[in-house]
Amino acid sequence: MKKDKNIAITVKDLHIYYKGLSKNSIRASWTKFNNKVEVFEALKGISFEVEEGKILGIIGKNGSGKSTLLRAIAGIFSPDKGSVNLHNNTISLLSIGVGFNNKLTGYENIYLSGMLLGFSESEIKKKEKEIIDFADIGDFMYKPVKTYSSGMHSKLAFAITAILETDIILIDEVLSVGDAKFKKKSYNKMKELISDDKRTVLIVSHSLDTIKELCNEVVWLNDGKIVKVGKPKEIIKEYEKFMEI
Amino acid sequence: MKNIKLFFKNIKKYNKYAIRSAKAELKSEVADSYLNWLWWIIEPLCFMLIYVFIFSVVFENDTPYFASFVFIGLAAWDFFNRMLSGSVKLIMSNRGLVSKVYIPKYILLLSKSYTYIFKWFISLIITFVLMIFQGVPFSFHILFIIPIIIILYILSFGIGMILMHFGVLFNDLSNLIKIVLRMIFYLSGVFYNIRERLDGVLQYVLLRGNPIAFCMDELRKVMLEVKFPSFEGLAVWLLIAITINIIGINIIHKNENSYAKVI
Repeated sequence: MKKDKNIAITVKDLHIYYKGLSKNSIRASWTKFNNKVEVFEALKGISFEVEEGKILGIIGKNGSGKSTLLRAIAGIFSPDKGSVNLHNNTISLLSIGVGFNNKLTGYENIYLSGMLLGFSESEIKKKEKEIIDFADIGDFMYKPVKTYSSGMHSKLAFAITAILETDIILIDEVLSVGDAKFKKKSYNKMKELISDDKRTVLIVSHSLDTIKELCNEVVWLNDGKIVKVGKPKEIIKEYEKFMEI
Repeated sequence: MKNIKLFFKNIKKYNKYAIRSAKAELKSEVADSYLNWLWWIIEPLCFMLIYVFIFSVVFENDTPYFASFVFIGLAAWDFFNRMLSGSVKLIMSNRGLVSKVYIPKYILLLSKSYTYIFKWFISLIITFVLMIFQGVPFSFHILFIIPIIIILYILSFGIGMILMHFGVLFNDLSNLIKIVLRMIFYLSGVFYNIRERLDGVLQYVLLRGNPIAFCMDELRKVMLEVKFPSFEGLAVWLLIAITINIIGINIIHKNENSYAKVI
């Protein structure tokens, strides 16, 4: 079965292009029929492995492919080349504005999001109260999500992903949302989740302090390629130098 | 073949999600309104009254049980129309979801189809009440509405999947579909009996080539005319429907994870 060191995520030579499927009007698709399609290569062959229970930070400047990488791992994008293997772990992507149905209430969205993360209705029912308490958005829980402020939106999103614990959690820049009180609460919850040595976490953040404090390992991306992988302290030092230029 | 297997596996896995999502959506449509769920009955009832008035008083018509006749057709049309026009923008309108979590895209269509079939079901109940009211003779033939409805459902689902895919690629596809659907609407005999009003080639082509006209006609045969449906016709359309579904499933499986890059 698994190797002695349990690997949770294997990414092999991952390429993601933005091309081929492009949005057009019917007329434009006739006239542009012979034009070359512009290809943007967001990830150019990325390979790495993450051991179970490890916390991996991903750093890089804007547009270096960090969010694309997370989405590909979450299965939202299909790899154009290469592969992502999650070894049958459940996975959730926590990012600003998680996928809610805006017309429905927050309460319904807890169930719908939970079911999409692979939980059954009864499992969610058991955790329902905990999620509502943690999100702490009062009566808005029973109002449509479109009436939420962006803060409430991310509070609920965070609460769902944090309380319904998937094996792998992908975090995209959410550590800095909500008011000061919620920020502290979510940071503590995050640490608690991370301290579970069964759970694998991938964090994308521009806050180098967060990465330094939470992660065991860091991947530095630039222009869709891995520049370096290593211990947070060393990588971040180099990265800071690189960014200053 | 692999895709078809995966399709059924996914349907099984996500069916509970689709049902829950459909229920929530139906509830949200009427939440906070004064008459609440009564709208599901009032809306189709009022539409029917309007059409019956126009077509029996303004344009004189002597089709027997005309109100029931119109209502059977209209309810089937509403379902078909909603499935097709709804699927074109389905991915776009679920952008928040599609770009944040993996979900087999036809599950979105499945969930939507449950809300449409629920509405059709309500219309059918109203139709039955109307038929009793008009003194339509009931017989066991009426049970044949079940296979007819199933075939129309499978067919709309298949076409819906294909439209859903192309709706992502062409942002003005919905305009085109609107026109095509309007044309089909008038060529389906919602307000007139194709078998009586048209003859020759046109009747032949419409009743055989236009699936919604065909289904409407079959529904009326079994519900109002105490007749058996055309079994060959149903079998042919079932085959066509299954073929379209296989094509749709393959298209969606091939492309679904690229949608998030486009929208």
